[in-house]
Parts: sequence; structure tokens; C-alpha cells
Amino acid sequence: MLLQHAADAAQAAAHPLSGTAARYLWLLPLLPLLGFVLNGLLSLVPAFHAGPHDPAAAHDEHVPASHDTNASGAHGDDHHAVPRHRFAGLATLIGPGVLLASFALAIAIFLAMLGAGGGEMHAPYIQRYFSWMPVGDLQIDAAFQLDQLSMVMILIITGVGSMIHLFSIGYMRDDPGYPRFFAYLNLFVFFMLVLVLGANYPVLFVGWEGVGTCSYLLIGFWFADKANADAGKKAFIVNRIGDFGFLIGMFLLFASVGSLDFVRVAEVAPTQLVFGGAVVTAICLFFFLGCAGKSAQIPLYVWLPDAMAGPTPVSALIHAATMVTAGIYLIARSSVLFSLAPVASLTVVVIGAVTAIFAASIGLKQWDIKKVLAYSTVSQLGYMFVGVGSGAYVAGVFHLMTHAFFKALLFLGAGSVIYAMHAAYHATGNHEDAQDMRNMGGFRAFMPVTWVLMWAATLAIAGVPPFSGFFSKDEILGTLFLRAQHSTLADASWLGIPGSAVLYICYALGLAAAFMTAVYMTRMMIYTFHGPNRTGAEERKHLREAPWVMTGPLLVLGIFAVVGGWFNLPTLIPIGPVQALDHWLEPVVGAGTLRTTLGTVPEASHSTEYALIGAAVVIAIAGIALALLRLKPDSLVPKAQSPEEHGFEKVLADKYYVDELYDDVIVQPVVRGSRGLLWRGIDVGLIDGLTRLIVQSKDDDAAPGRIPMGGLAARSVGWLGSQLQSGRLGTYAWVLVVGVLFVLGAFTFR
Amino acid sequence: MRYYDLAIPSHLAAALLPDLILIGGAMLLLLWAVWRRESASHQRGVGVLAIGICVATLVAVLLMMFDRPTASDGPIAVDNFRWMVDVVVLLGTIAAIALGIDDNDRTGTTTAESHVLMLLASSGMMLLGAARDLIIVFLGIELMSVAVYALAGMNRRSERSAEGSLKYFLLGAFSTAFLLYGIALVYGATGTTGLHEIHARVAAHQLNSSPLLLIGIGMLLVGFGFKVASVPFHMWAPDVYDGSPNPVTAYMAATVKAAAFAAFLRVWLEAFPSEFASWHKAVVGLAILTMIVGNAIGLQQRNLKRMLAYSSIAHAGYLLVAIASGTSQGASALIFYLLAYTLATFGAFSVLVVMSRGDAAVTTEDISGLWTVRPWLAVAMTVFMMALMGFPVIGGMGFLAKWYILKAALQAPTPQTTLAVILVLTTVISAGYYLYVVMVMFMRPRADLAPVVGHTGAWTRFVVVACALAILIIGIAPDYTVRYATVGVPRVAPADSTAVAPTAARTAAAR
Amino acid sequence: MREFLHSVGYDHWILPALLVVPVLGAIAVLLAGRRRDGVVAEDEVVSGAARAPRAIATLVFALEFVLSLGLWWAFDPAVPGWQQRVDARWIPSWGARFTIGLDGISLMMVLLTTFIMLLAAYGSWTYIRRKTAAYYALMLLLTTGMLGVFMSLDLFLFYSMWEIMLVPMYFVIGIWGGQRRIYASLKFFIYTMLGSLLMLVGIIYIGLAASNGAGVPNFSYDAILANAHLSSSAALWLFGAFFLAFAVKVPMFPFHTWLPDAHVEAPTAGSVVLASIMLKLGTFGFLRLAVPLFPGAAMSDTVRTIVLVLAVIGIVYGALVSLVQPDFKKLVAYSSVSHLGFVMLGIFALTVQSVQGALMVMINHGLSTGALFFLIGMIYERRHTRLIEDYGGIARVVPMFAALLVFVTLTSIGVPGTNGFIGEFLVLLGSFRTFPVFSLVATTVVIIAAAYLLWAIQRILFNPLDKPINEHIPDLNGREMAIMIPLVVAMLWLGVYPAPVLRRMQPAAEQFVRSVESRAALSTASVSEGR
Repeated sequence: MLLQHAADAAQAAAHPLSGTAARYLWLLPLLPLLGFVLNGLLSLVPAFHAGPHDPAAAHDEHVPASHDTNASGAHGDDHHAVPRHRFAGLATLIGPGVLLASFALAIAIFLAMLGAGGGEMHAPYIQRYFSWMPVGDLQIDAAFQLDQLSMVMILIITGVGSMIHLFSIGYMRDDPGYPRFFAYLNLFVFFMLVLVLGANYPVLFVGWEGVGTCSYLLIGFWFADKANADAGKKAFIVNRIGDFGFLIGMFLLFASVGSLDFVRVAEVAPTQLVFGGAVVTAICLFFFLGCAGKSAQIPLYVWLPDAMAGPTPVSALIHAATMVTAGIYLIARSSVLFSLAPVASLTVVVIGAVTAIFAASIGLKQWDIKKVLAYSTVSQLGYMFVGVGSGAYVAGVFHLMTHAFFKALLFLGAGSVIYAMHAAYHATGNHEDAQDMRNMGGFRAFMPVTWVLMWAATLAIAGVPPFSGFFSKDEILGTLFLRAQHSTLADASWLGIPGSAVLYICYALGLAAAFMTAVYMTRMMIYTFHGPNRTGAEERKHLREAPWVMTGPLLVLGIFAVVGGWFNLPTLIPIGPVQALDHWLEPVVGAGTLRTTLGTVPEASHSTEYALIGAAVVIAIAGIALALLRLKPDSLVPKAQSPEEHGFEKVLADKYYVDELYDDVIVQPVVRGSRGLLWRGIDVGLIDGLTRLIVQSKDDDAAPGRIPMGGLAARSVGWLGSQLQSGRLGTYAWVLVVGVLFVLGAFTFR
Repeated sequence: MRYYDLAIPSHLAAALLPDLILIGGAMLLLLWAVWRRESASHQRGVGVLAIGICVATLVAVLLMMFDRPTASDGPIAVDNFRWMVDVVVLLGTIAAIALGIDDNDRTGTTTAESHVLMLLASSGMMLLGAARDLIIVFLGIELMSVAVYALAGMNRRSERSAEGSLKYFLLGAFSTAFLLYGIALVYGATGTTGLHEIHARVAAHQLNSSPLLLIGIGMLLVGFGFKVASVPFHMWAPDVYDGSPNPVTAYMAATVKAAAFAAFLRVWLEAFPSEFASWHKAVVGLAILTMIVGNAIGLQQRNLKRMLAYSSIAHAGYLLVAIASGTSQGASALIFYLLAYTLATFGAFSVLVVMSRGDAAVTTEDISGLWTVRPWLAVAMTVFMMALMGFPVIGGMGFLAKWYILKAALQAPTPQTTLAVILVLTTVISAGYYLYVVMVMFMRPRADLAPVVGHTGAWTRFVVVACALAILIIGIAPDYTVRYATVGVPRVAPADSTAVAPTAARTAAAR
Repeated sequence: MREFLHSVGYDHWILPALLVVPVLGAIAVLLAGRRRDGVVAEDEVVSGAARAPRAIATLVFALEFVLSLGLWWAFDPAVPGWQQRVDARWIPSWGARFTIGLDGISLMMVLLTTFIMLLAAYGSWTYIRRKTAAYYALMLLLTTGMLGVFMSLDLFLFYSMWEIMLVPMYFVIGIWGGQRRIYASLKFFIYTMLGSLLMLVGIIYIGLAASNGAGVPNFSYDAILANAHLSSSAALWLFGAFFLAFAVKVPMFPFHTWLPDAHVEAPTAGSVVLASIMLKLGTFGFLRLAVPLFPGAAMSDTVRTIVLVLAVIGIVYGALVSLVQPDFKKLVAYSSVSHLGFVMLGIFALTVQSVQGALMVMINHGLSTGALFFLIGMIYERRHTRLIEDYGGIARVVPMFAALLVFVTLTSIGVPGTNGFIGEFLVLLGSFRTFPVFSLVATTVVIIAAAYLLWAIQRILFNPLDKPINEHIPDLNGREMAIMIPLVVAMLWLGVYPAPVLRRMQPAAEQFVRSVESRAALSTASVSEGR
């Protein structure tokens, strides 16, 4: 790797970043990979009891099973009363260590980039390592590409990632799979970095699938519980549906453009693809299918809520901050293509908006604290798609960033709450559901720090100024409103409906979703931290704030959740760097944005802008207020005694029965059809039946002695022959005569 | 080219030296055999002497073969085809006698006549190989058949044996009548019994479509069909094969068939090439019937001897394909095939000789798990089965033989594609029982109360090893044999010329 | 390296050596296995009678592998045509010669064979307990047969080798197999033979068509390619004959039903060899004979469409059926049907990418499925059951096994970064250029594949450990790790840096595509692009 890099340096020399810290770009993903290898060994080496030389001989002798046996998460929860892993210390050193290292490197590269002119740096900095798939006119290199967009992602991944790693030290301390956990986590970061660094679609796809695999492994981290294993499998398979789209998109792209390199595609696509043509639309739609899978949009969102089965840090890192945002990244990365396909973009917006409100509505009735956050994530991702769909790529990425901060914070906060609950339950041997808000309440008293930070995050996600969420969400909705007035999307028509109308509707949906967001987040806060405590008298004694290794990261994230929005202030509020992110990302997505806005930079009159902002703020406040007024935590009873919901509430609580629908309509028919029709019917019945007729008779071992060969056809002839072979001379003579006639006949008939 | 006038002793000797050695030897041996009191040792001694005579004859044949005298014409053919046939026949006879010695020891038969009868039968066969005149053909067939009738009934204590031989005799007579009638008709049509003359006159007087001639050919076909046991003239074969002692069965299944086919081919190629169009359909029909029925019934058998009997019928079908191609290619293929077939059959039967107990038939149960007790015997049997099945390398020569026939069929002026396809398809059916034998030997456990496999007699072992080695070696390096098979063909020049017409069709198909 | 090889005349003796060494090895093994005392040990592993044969066999295979390894350097991708070619007279009067040689395709197949066979032999050490000497001897002969098929440039030789492979495998399944081994072995034999015998007729026909006129046929591959002129109808029939032979071997839907039985009944090593190498012989046959010899017939609209449809059906069908298999071995067997369907799709889509992809799939399937069968065999040796439902939650008991099984599964699913991805990606991408619809349908399998494999390993490794008998399964031992690690390394290597392999196969693949395209165009109505 080093060598190729050195060889490559010459050719990359022209680039402003060459010779700076960026030259160590390859080290960025390599460090986590190293961590994975080491931790992986740590987790396997002690587990490895070399089996006996002759396993068959020894299968009954009792070999002490691996120490990983003792019920890693026997009840699938986040808590285990077992001795720490013998290499836990080492794993702690490696796991978070490598990540902090690559975070430091990321910052160094970022500074180098600033030095090299940041937003003014137009060509991406590309490192080619080796030729990956050189086949005819298809030339795919293993190459990394560093530009402003990937820089942002890198900082988020390594930064938030480090925080979450630190948090995990405390959170997973007692888990027997401790090194395994960090191994997976490191591997995930590696793939995530590959995803954002890849210089062409296939390399991106490597990361894309890699993170999926890691999420599979991490969701099923406590695989001893069927539910967890199922969740992991579900996540992987649903993601594969998306990947199917991604693959087809790539094939189509290659077939029509002849390359899969980002740079090349950006160059040729506008010239080779017809604007709004069927091809580019198809490409974008297929890509979006991939995004819908990875970023949990309708109809493929179903895996994300189940994914909460994984350890909470995983939920924070993978299912909130980074992996699930890969879809947004992909669209921003393909801004050129999407800006060429307004219809596809409209689809993205619609799906995004619908998902946003749909998920938010489900979030209103969830009791599991992580489920609430899960659906809120789905809904927020919907916002991001609205952003990138409407050509406001920066807004989308901006919301991605702020969301990474406050959602990670929310999850980790929830994590430490659950942690406390478990500590309490474990102390008293209680086996209640430790994640159900009905069993919580009044935590404000026990965990003040968490309480404050969670409120900050809640205000941020609800979109209350000046918290980060406000700015990003406002930018998305604002730009959406502007696009509705004037953009290629507005001019296009979607299923016959004029684009502008669609966009206005989506804007309304966005506002409604924002309102619901405020409501369910406040609801969560109230039920968890306020009102009376429903944990139980015994348990209450053991409730306390999590250790500093956990609250520390929370604090850091809290700060960013608050100020994160100031990286990209709207022009009206010049209290900091105005539209810094816009300028920063301009070289990457600028062209696409311009094409969407028909080349003009839309400037809304200040009055409209004030109106929009006002609307957003009012909505948020209203939502919070409503929740505060309507919800009565005092009337709430613990899960055990709580009554069944009914009516629409139940429908919401049961998530509109979508899972059941999919199971009945798709999964079951496929399985049954495959078993009954294809296997038993065609394979065993038809094909083998036929061959049995012609070539081969029944199973020989069933009826030993009979010759298994010779199906009916041959057998019947044989039977006839042997019947004639009666031994009576008369018959023979008779046959002989027949033969003679036959011969003579053959001679006469010609 | 010399012309042999059999009236001149030197010519006679030159033309018929091997036959004279054999017949003379047989006569003397017969005297010796019946003169001495019956005893096991006597039986063995006679057998050894018989083998000696065969070897002497073989040497003579080989000498003549390498010195390559050829006769332009005359009732006795002096050509490589004849020598090749003699070699095949003599090898078969030696093997049969060798097996006979051990088999008689096993069954306690002390009569020595069987060996002598085999010599006499062989002399008849050699005559068949040499016959260039329908009368000679008839002589040869009778000489052979009479001896074989007796052989079939050799095992006096067995009723099945007697019954079989009687059937054989009656049906044989029946079919010989057809043969004779055919000869008569042909003679009536052409006024001659010499093969070349027949061909010449047919050509001269445009007799191609004379009904007399055609019916005559048909009758001849029936006669030969009976001798080579082709369906539907095969009915005698299973019973006879089943009744006779193993060595005799092998002898009938392989050598008799070989001789009959030799005569069949020579008559067909030298006398009736220009009637190709007429007899072709009939021969093809017989071939197809024989291949299918033979293999299909073979599937039903669990008595190994009957299984081999039917397989021998199936092989008659394959050989008919060679004849149906009606070319010199077919002739050499036939020769090659006969050699391979003889080796494999005798090999297989020698295993039966080892396995058989008393009069009880050897069934698949008896050989199940043979591998565990007699690994090498099982391996040898596998080789023979694979050879009969026509499987490459392991089946050695057997595969090449089948391949040769296929080649001949496809190379014929009118490519016999249908026959070729049916041939391979029926081969798949045959795999059903050949493989079954292999499977039983290797994959079934040895039954607890299975009889202990007796000691293998020296002669039998010799036959097994010799056959297996020959099959394998020729299977790897066949070229030498092939060259002799190629030169050893009757003169069929006119046949090709008459059959040239369809060539155009074939080349058209190819282009 | 190359200089050294040249200095020892490597190119001239390597291929014959590769064919001869196993035969000699087989003889040595049989001699070593001779029982002087004449007693038959029911369990030769325990009695120790197995030591000498298995050790010798493994050494011979190791030697074979080391020898063949030199080809990696000795083979020069830049040089067109056959390399390491050896040509000797065999049966002149039939125009059959002993001609062997390599191109990029067969090179990789040869290396794969020697590699897998070594592991297969080493993997049988404790699995095979009766008649070990015979077993290893047969495995060695099998190697000769398979290598022979890959090398032979003479159709007569090709056919002989092709049939020869059958017998050892027949015995391996039939003697050391499971419950219904006899049925399975016979089915295997008959099916394959049925196909190949028709091919024999085809070979003779085309050999005669290429003959020099003097009635002596010519079976030299190059000669036939050059001067066998066939009418389009004859070509169609001949292609049919070859197609049947190879389609059964591949196996293509609907000729695949022998495979599940054979796989389930065969001993581990048997399944491995069957899946890793023997199935490839079918696709190799298409690449080497069926398509190049009769491009007109193979690429005529109808035939091509039929084959492609069958291939795509096979892909989806195999995946769906494996979804519901209760027997893990059977599941993998059906998954092979699916994977091999990709190969056929790649070959008949006829683009450089798709063909290269097909070749990669051949190699990858060899590694991944081979590894899967190894793992199944290892766990089978411990629990003596292959039924998925008999396991569950054993990941805690046998972490090493679990880790390996998960990894191998992921490669089989085709997760990028592992070998599986490269092949499928190239096939689909390539075939999308000529047959987008088929490619689209085939791509859905990335979903089903994930479903059936993950579902299976979940029921085996994960879920609660609810069966007490599973709580004391010993983990993999050193020998088994030594078998798996090379496979894992190979998979990663091919996934991350396949370029060297691709480069070596590139000329052959391109030549295949170009010649078939041109000759198909000239010998029949032009090949439609199917767009």
C-alpha cells in the first residue's frame, strides 16, 4: 500500500493537498482496521480450545465449553453479571485508541485542507493504490478521494465515533464479549470511512456493504436471544434489497456512461445523459432504492426499529449518527446525476416527507425509549432526503451533521438511563423491561447531568432556536419552499401532479412532522425524567448517574448539539460564520444545486424568510407546549399494570402492522412456494419423477437386490422380453417365424 | 498374388496349414482322450494337450499372417481378415479350454471330450473365417454347430443342460434350414455360390432387384441372425447359455459369435455389397431391436450368467451396427470389437467359474462385498464389466472397440447417425447392470452366510490376469492392434463404389 | 523465478508430471496400505492402519500443489496461444494425439484443482475410517482425471479424461458415502454418462468433419477449430450433444437433480471436490468446447435465449429452493446450482466482463463452497447430523468454527471485499450490457442468497443453545484450522486484489469473446445483442 502510494504521489503532486497531512489519508481507515484485527484476535485467542485430534472419537468426551458461554446476554439486554473479559484492559486501549488516533489524523487533514484553501479547492485529492478490477474497458481502481464532502463525513464519523467508543468503555465494561464488541465497532468505522473515501461507486459499495455487515454482527451481538439474531438478519436482508437497487444503478450507469469513477461521471454525465431522460431517472431511482434500504425510508424502513436490539452505543453510532446517513451521502455524492433527473428527485422528496411524518406518528405511541428514538431517526432521515431530494444538498448534509450530534447524544443519554435501570434491576434481581418508559419516570432527580443534556438534545431535535437542529431543519424546509416556487423540480411533474404542488404538500408534511417531533420528544422527556418514579421502591435506591467515562462524551456531544447549527447560519442571523458549510461544499455539490435552481441563486425576500422561520419556531414551541400540557406522567402506571391501547392508538403502537403485512404478503408466500411448489413439486416430483420413468428407478437401498437402473420404459421392454423367454420351444419357434416375416418384410418394403 | 489350387498339396498346405494342424491334432487327441480311462488327471492332461495344439495352430496362423500370402480368388480366402479371425477364435478356444480344465476339476467331471470338441468346433470356426464360398460357409457352420450342440449338453447330470442343448439343436436345425434355403435361392438367382462370382454376376446381369436373390439374402440373414443370436432369433441363447457349464457358455457367447460374425461380414461385404440398399434396412432393424431388447432384458437379471447371456445379445446388436455400415471401416471395427469382446467375456466368465458353487447359479448376492475378501478379483471383474460397458481407460479396449464401431458407423457413406445414437443410449442402459455388478461387489457388505470364495485355479487365474492385462494395455496403446485390424479386412472395394451414391448426401450434410 | 523455471525446463515437463505424479502416488498409497496380517480393521484411524496411506497421499498432493504453483510464474499472460504445450503421437491410425497445454483459463483451474485436492486429502484424515488406502488412491486418480480434462487439447484425450473422472468419484460416494450412497452414486454416474456418451458421438462426428480426407479423423482442438466446417443444422445437433454433456455436469436447471443427492451422500472431501472442481468441468466444457466449436449454433438467437433463460431460472430457482432445505449440505448443494447459473449467464452473455466474471465465479465458488462443505464436514464429525434444526446457539461452544462459518457465509453471499463479490459483480455488470433483463432478474439473488444463508447460520450458530448435547462440542483442532486458514486467505486475497488473476485470464477471455462473436456472425445470421 505504502509503495503504491509513493508511486502515486508524483501524479498527485499537482494537487494543493499533496505533501500535506493528507498524504496519510490511507492511514485513516487503516487504523480502525488494525484495531479490528487486534481486538478480533483478543476475542478469539482465549476462546480457542483446540479440539481433539480426532473429533469423531472425542465427540462424547466433555471439553469445557468456551468461557464466552456463560449467557452473554441470556435475556438479550444490556447487562451481564459475569467477570470481565481477561483482555478487557488491552481491548480498551486498542478499540477507542485507534479511533482517537484517526480522529486526530482527520483533524490534521482538515487543517491541511483549510490551509490549502478549503472551499476554493476544486479538484478532489485522489490516491490510487492498486488496480482492483481491470477487465476490458472496465477499470476499477482501489482509490480514495478526499474532498470537502468526504471531509465533513470523516470528521463526523471519527469525532462522534470516538465519543461513542469512549462511552462504550463504561457501557460494555462487564460484557464477556468486550473485545469482540470493539472489534466489530472498529471494523464498522473502517468500512464507514471506506464508504465516504471511495473514489468510485464500487469502492463506495465495499464500504456500503461492509457497514451493513457490521451492523448485522452488532445488532445480533447478543445472538443467544433469537429476537436479536432475527433483528440482525432482518437488517441485513432488507439492506440487500436496497443493495440490489444500488447494483442495478451501477450497471446502468456503467452501461450508459462507461465509467464508475466519481470524477469521470461528474465530467461526462451532463453531456452523455439527457436531462430528465429515462436512463438517468432510472439510475437515480435505483440508487435511491439503495438509499431507502440503507437509510431506512419507506418502504424499507422496517429494519431500523428492530435494530435497536443491538447494544445502545451501536444504536447511537450506526443507527443514528453514521451508517443510516450513508444514503444521504450517496445522493449528495451523486448530485450531478440527481440534478439531471427532476422526477427522481421529486420521488426522493416525497418519500422523504412521507417517511418523516409516518415515522413521527408512530413515535408518538412508543413506550420503549429506544424505539421512540429509532422512529425519530427514521423521521429525521426523511427530512434529510427532503433536503437532498429538493437539490438542497448542503441543507441535507447540514442536517445530517447536526442530527449526528443530537441523536447520538439522545441515544447515549437513553443508554445511560438504561444502564442505570439495569444496575438497579440487577441489584434487586428484578426482570422487568428496563427500556420501557412506563417503568421509569423522575430520573431528573437521580441523573441530573443526563437530564440537562437530554433536554438540550430534545430542544435541538424539536427545532428550537438557537439549538443546532433549528438551523438545519429550517434550512431544509426553507429551501424546499423556495424550490416549490422556482426549480427544475417545480417545473417537472410527478405522477401527473405538477412538481410545485408536490413540493408545497411536502413542505406542509414537513411542518406537521416537525410538530409531531416536538411532541413525542417532549413526551419521552416527561415520562423518563419528570413526574413520579415508577421503578419501584427497592430499585430506586440503586438509581444513580453513570460514571464519567460515559457522561464525559455526553457532555462533548451536548456542546455540539447546541452550537452545531452555527456552522451554517442563515444570512439573516449573522451571529457567526454565515453559510460556512454552503461555501465549503460548493465545489462538490454546487453544480448540481445550480442545475436544480435553473442556474439562478434563489434569494427569498426577507419577509418570506422571516415567515418561514417563524412558522418553524411556532410549530416547535407549540408541539412542546402541547405535550407539556396534555401528558400527565402522574397518571402513568408501570408496564406490568398498564392497559391495552385501543383504536388508532393501538394501530400506532403496533406500527400500522407493516411488519405483519410484509410477512404475510412477501415472506411467507416465498417460503411456502419454494418448499411446496419448487422443491417438493418441481424438483422431487416432476424432474425426479420423469427421470425415474426414463432413466433410473426408485432408491436402490430401499429394495436391495433389485437393479436400481432402468426406468419404466426399459423395464417394460425387459419385462415383455423375459415373458416371451418362457422356455417353451413353441413360443421360440413362433417368435422365430415372426422374425423371418419381419426380415422379409424389410426386404420387400423399400 | 498367388492362386491356390487346393488340388495341389503344396497349395493346400499353404492355404490351410493352420486348419490342418488343428483338425489333425484334434483327431489324434480324440483317440488319446477316449483310449485312456477317465480320471481327473487325464482330463487335465488332455486339456493341456488341447491348449498346446491351439498354441501350435496360433503360431502357424501368426506366421502366415506376417508372411502375408494373399489369394486373389478361390473358395478359401487367404487374407488377413481370415488370420485375424483365426487369432480371435484360437485365443477364445485356449481360454475356454483353460477354464474348462479348472471347471471340470471343480465339478468333478472327468470326461475329457469337451476339450476335443472345442478343438473341432474351432476348426469349423476357422473354416468360417476362411470361407469364400457359401458352401464352405455352410460346412463351417455345421462343423462348428454340431460340436457346440454336444458341448451344450456336456454336463450330463444337469437337466437344464440337456434341455438347453436340445433346444439349441432343434432351433439350430430350423435356422440352418433357412441358411441352406437362402444359399439355394442365391444360387438359383446367380448360378454360383462363390462370393466374388455372385457379386460379379449381380453386377453383370443387373440382378440387384431380382426377388429370388433378395429373398435368398433375407434367408441368409435369418440364418446368420440365429447364429449370432440377434433379436428376434435369440430366444435359444439364454436358456442354452444358462444350461451349459460356464466355460462352454463363454465359448458360445464369445467365440461362436465371433466366427459367425466373421462369415456374416465376409458374405455381406464380398457377395452383396451392391444390394446394400436392399439389406440395409433389415440389418439396421435387427441391430436396433437387438441392442434395445438385449440390454433391457439384461436389466432384469440377477443371475449373473443370464445377465451376461443377454449382454452378449446386446453386443451382437453393436456388432450388427458395424455390419450395417457396410464398409471396410466396419469390417476392421468388427474385428477389433470381437477381440475386445472375447477378452472381456472370458474374463467375466472366469470370475463366475471362481464364484460358482455346485450347480447353483451365481447371483448378485453371491458376489456382494467381494471386494472385502478378494480385492483383486473384484478389481479384475470391474475391468471386465467396464470393458463390456465400453468405458474409457478402465474399460480399456472395450471403449476403443465401441468407439471404433461408432466411428465406422459415422464414417460410412451413409452416416448411421441413428444407429450411433441408439448404440450410446443403450450403452447407458447397459451401465445399469454392469455398474450394478460393480456396485454390489464394492458397496454392499459381504453377507455373513455368504459361501467362502474357493481357491482360484491356476488356469483360471491365468485367464483372468491375461484378459485384464490385455484389455488394459491395448486400451492404452491400441495402435498396433488397430493397424492389423485395418489391414485385416475382406476385399470390399466394389462395395464402396456401389455405395458411393449416398456419399454425396453425406458430404452435403457435412459442408 | 521465471528464469529459474526455464533453467530447469519446467515448461516441458510440468504438465505430464502433474498427470503422472498422482498415479505413482496412488500406487505408492496402495502398497503402503497393503495389509500383511490380512485382518480388516473396521476403524483404521483408531487401529493406525490409516496413518501411512493418508500421510503419503497428503505428501503427494502437497508435492503436486508445489509443482503446479510454478505455473503461476511460468505462465506468461502476454504470450498468446497454448503454453507449456506437450504433443506426442498416441493413436496415429485414429488421428488421436496426446496433446496438452494451458491457456489462462485452464491455468487457474489447474491451480484451483491442486490446491483444493491437497486440502481435501488433508481434510479426510479422520473422516475416512475404512479402506483408507483405496480411498486416497482413488482421490489421486481423480486428480489426474480432472487435471487431464483441463489440460487436454485433443478431443479424444479430453473424452477419455472426462469419463475417467467419473469412476473414482463413483466409488468415493458409493463406498464412503452416507445412508443412500448407492442410489446417489449410481444417479451421479448415470446422469453424467448419459450426457457424455452423446458428446462422444458428437466428438467422433466433428473429428471426421475435420479429417484430412484420407478417412483418418483429426481430433486436435486447434485443427477442428480451424477446419471443421459444419452445416448450421449439423452444428446445432452437435451443440445439443455437447450441451447435454456439460449441462448435466454444471448442473443447469433442469438437469441438476443428481447434485443434491450426490452432495448429501458424499463424504466431506467428496462433496468438496464435487463442488469445487467437478462442477467447473461443465462450465469449462462450455468455454473450451461447446461454444467455441459451434459458435453459430450456440449464439443463435433461439439457443442463446434458451440457455440464458435456463441459467437465470437456475440462479433464482436454486436460491429459492435452498431457502427451505432442512439439511445444510443440501442447502449448499442447491446454492451451487444458483452460483453455477451465474457462470452460465456470464458465458452466454458474451462480454469480456461477464466472461471474466464467470471465470471468477468458478474460482470463488470453488473456494467458498468448498470451505462450506469442509465446515459442515467438521461439525458433522462431531455431531453426526447435518440437519440444521439439530444445532442452534453453538457459536458460544465453538467460537472458532462460528467465526469461520460466518466469514465463509459472507463470502458466499458475495459481500464486497471478499472473493464472492468480484465474480458476481462482473458477471452481472457484463451481462447487463447485452441482456439487461436477465441480469436484472439474476441480481435479485443477492437478496435471496443473503436470506437463505443467514437464516441457516442463524439457526446453527445463533439463537438459544437449547440442546444439551450441543454444549460439549469440541472446537476445531489444529489440522482443521490449517485447512481453513489457507482458504480464508485465498478468499480475502481474491476479494481485495484479484487483479493478478484477472490479468492472467484476460487474454483467454478476450480471445474467447472475440472469436465466438466473429465466427458466430460469419457462420450464421448475425448474433443479436438481445437488447
